[in-house]
Formats: sequence, C-alpha cells, structure tokens
Amino acid sequence: MRWKQFFTPVQSMDGLETRKFLEQLSGDDYNLIDVRQPGEYKDGHLPGAKLIPLGDLADRARELDPDKPTVVY
Amino acid sequence: MLAGKGFGKVINMAGGIKGWNSETAVGPEDLGLSLFTGHESLEEVLVIAYSLEKGLFDFYISMTEIITDTKVRQLFNQLSTIEIKHQERVLAEYNDLKKNHITREEFEQQPAATMMEGGLTTEEYLALYKPDLDSIRDVVSLAMGIEGQALDLYSRAADRASNKEVKNSLLKIADEERAHLRQLGALLD
Repeated sequence: MRWKQFFTPVQSMDGLETRKFLEQLSGDDYNLIDVRQPGEYKDGHLPGAKLIPLGDLADRARELDPDKPTVVY
Repeated sequence: MLAGKGFGKVINMAGGIKGWNSETAVGPEDLGLSLFTGHESLEEVLVIAYSLEKGLFDFYISMTEIITDTKVRQLFNQLSTIEIKHQERVLAEYNDLKKNHITREEFEQQPAATMMEGGLTTEEYLALYKPDLDSIRDVVSLAMGIEGQALDLYSRAADRASNKEVKNSLLKIADEERAHLRQLGALLD
C-alpha cells in the first residue's frame, strides 16, 4: 500500500492562478504535463508543456523530477 | 497517481486547457525539432537560435514596410528592436563560448534555418492567427502567439538535449521568451 498518496493533497488552481504560479518560476523549476491525447495537444497546449497521455503517465513518471512542483491538465 | 509516486507538490489546473485563457502553442510534439535533434553542440544550437530570432526580426521589418497605420508600424518596429536584443544576447554567448569576437555580419554568413522563431514560417503564422494588421490588439496577439510557439519549441528542444550545457542554454532562451511574453501581455492589459 502506498500510503503517501493519501497524505499528499493535490492542489487545484484555475487558469489565471496557474499562469501566475508559473510566471514566478524558471522553466527548469517545474514540470508542466499535458495528460490529454496527442491530437488534443496538437490543437493547442500550454507553451512548454510535456505531452504524457494519462494512460502512459504511470510508466513515464520517471522522466519527471518528483521534487519539482508538477502542474497537470 | 503522481502523489503516490513520490511527487511532493501536484497541481491540477481546473478547467483544463479551456480554463487557461492565455496563449497556447500548436502542433505535434516534434514540430520544429528537425532543427534540434538533441545531439547538436552548444555552438550549433546558438547558430540555430540566432537564425530563428533573425527570421522573426525580418518578419517584423517586412510588416513595417506594408503597414499604413502609424501606431501599428511603430509597434512592429518596437517588436523588431526586441528581437535584435535577443540576437545580441545569443551572439554574446556564442562569442564567450568561442573566446572570439565576431560581428553580427560575420555571424549571419553562417547557414541559417528558413523557419521563424517557434518553428513555423511567416505564411504559416499569418494563416494560423489571421491577424487584422490594422489592429494593435491583433498584432500583439500575433506576436504573443509566435513567442508562445518559440517558448514551446525551445522547451521541447531542451527536453531532448543530451548535453547538460546545451540543455541549460535552451532553457535560458526559453525563459527569455517567457519574459517577452509577459511584456507583450502587459501591452494587451
């Protein structure tokens, strides 16, 4: 049982709050993940977002630095 | 899922992309990455970045030649000046790296990419954003779209860079694009 997931709250921010949060940081200081499908990403995504479709996230989470704040949409 | 894998701070953007209400980048993950395979040297990356900035500078200058509205023309001039500063910053890094001093003219003799910043051509950007070139708001939105696309390209290129020095340089350029986006956003507000 991975108990940590029950004690790490996932914060929610609206678009404006997310933008202000990201603006305070350098691009190397956070993970920005687009978990939609490639076709949706192609039609429009947040600049700098990394595409990892939700179905691949468990396998590809190791590509990300867990110590950095991670914004997901 | 991420919280369970040891990620300390996870933020869900409520409303997803529809809640973003700001500039977006378009295209598949590999758009423009024919320029950045991930195996370029820092020197090569700086030459490519310079040529992309130059492409955008040339675009803004070409716009000043066809726009009749004085204020919009001034805005394009202002945007082109910002691109010159970007080019000078990249050239300075190149000269530091090579422990050399070559001029803009000499640097521009090198083979250049035919795309503009962000990995699209002039025609592709105009077709994508369809700006009213007499509207300051539309022109600023066009510029923000291009900068957003550039930020996206440099971020994706940094992500695939195999060399740490190259990665850091690309991230630095991406941060400059982010700062430029903020300046343009302030113009809109």
